[in-house]
Amino acid sequence: MSLVGQTLAILRKDLLAEWRTRERLSPMIFLVLLMLLVFNFSFDMAGAPLHRTGPGVLWSAFVFASLLGLQRTFAAERDNGCLDALLVAPVSRTGLYLAKALANLLYLLVVEAVTLPLFTLFFSLPVGAYLAPLPLVLLLGSTCLATTGTLFASMAGHTRLREFLLPLLLLPVAMPALISCVAATGAVLEHSRGGAASWPPALAAHLEMLAVYAVVYSTVCLLLFEHVIEE
Amino acid sequence: MTEPAAPADPAAEPNLVEVRGATRRFGPVAALRPLNLTLAAGDHLLLAGPNGAGKTTLLRLLAGLARPQQGEVRVGGADPRRAAGARRRIGLLSHQPLVYDDLTCEENLRFFARLYGLDGGDETVAAALARSGLAERRDAVAGALSRGLKQRLALARATLHRPELLLLDEPFTGLDAGAAADLVTFLRTRAGEDGTASVLVTHRVTEVADLVNRVVVLDGGRRRCDRLWAGGDGDALQALCAAATAGRDRARAPA
Repeated sequence: MSLVGQTLAILRKDLLAEWRTRERLSPMIFLVLLMLLVFNFSFDMAGAPLHRTGPGVLWSAFVFASLLGLQRTFAAERDNGCLDALLVAPVSRTGLYLAKALANLLYLLVVEAVTLPLFTLFFSLPVGAYLAPLPLVLLLGSTCLATTGTLFASMAGHTRLREFLLPLLLLPVAMPALISCVAATGAVLEHSRGGAASWPPALAAHLEMLAVYAVVYSTVCLLLFEHVIEE
Repeated sequence: MTEPAAPADPAAEPNLVEVRGATRRFGPVAALRPLNLTLAAGDHLLLAGPNGAGKTTLLRLLAGLARPQQGEVRVGGADPRRAAGARRRIGLLSHQPLVYDDLTCEENLRFFARLYGLDGGDETVAAALARSGLAERRDAVAGALSRGLKQRLALARATLHRPELLLLDEPFTGLDAGAAADLVTFLRTRAGEDGTASVLVTHRVTEVADLVNRVVVLDGGRRRCDRLWAGGDGDALQALCAAATAGRDRARAPA
């Protein structure tokens, strides 16, 4: 079976189980909504420009939600010892990693798709064409989180302290990408004042950085996964 | 210590499994000391010994789930950790069911059929469900099955691709006497059908006396006994395994 076929088979299995249980998406979405609500009441948004506080609020919520979801990346595989069955099968470790990372990326994108309309509502963000680059920022940022998070989730999964270890491993490594995410989101939101449809000038540099991070993280994690997943 | 010679016939077909000088340590503990072992098609090996003897470690090396720190493990001439083709020859059944609780019986088998790239997956899955007596429960989620039924599903998963080497790690755990007898019957039928080889780790030695034809007893990561077994009396098999580690027991007995 080809690498693509193996990846899709594992991805399909994960999505089917998630569709049936919603054990990852439900808590992720609920946490993000709670955080938005708390931030909404905590910050005096009338006094602070949205492009200064909004990106931090948004990405803080996404990072915590992703940590919640990433903890469960290999949970189904750990239960009943299914990881052994997967590793004994003639499955490429690359296919396993790609499927898990893709599933994590999809969950994060769903959470973001649900969150954004509520973010615009809670923080009175004017809706306009200037928001068009935001999905690209979210996609690249989420790719960075999903690729590194999947690797570290597999590492942390071997330990007793996996819940504590994952954020301690992931956040320092993902920090450069997160800084770019916040900066790029800030550039997009700042552009709302002009109301222009064109891309803000500072955005291109941030997107380039994010694209580089996404490629580097994906490649390195892909190479390391085989060594991490085996005893 | 000189290891006893393996009873495999050198004139027979090439060995399905070859373990050469494999060792494995967990920190200061030597789980497996340099071990040589060969297994040919049709061998049904009982791997016995006390807790911590290295049985499961050896089984995980054979399955490619762990790496020997020294030596090598080959299944069908290839390292199962590296070669997907070698892993395709292996079926693994453990004391854990190794099936997904959130998927139905059919979805579980269909998923593994896809991973193994089985042609005619639908027919293969239907046949496996029927063979395991799970045809009527095909749409039941695995998490809702009793321990015995879940183990049947696990066996169907492990044998779906008709492996040449079946690795069984304490497969009777949590099964009552009737379910264990069913499992033995299924394994005997399975072994007779395809001429597979198997390695069975269990403490319930008496129940597999008619299933195995070779006995290896490990203790402290060393092989204490390697004998052919003609089948028959379970108590005699139990006594053989106990005798192989009798010195150890005497050494541990209070003065």
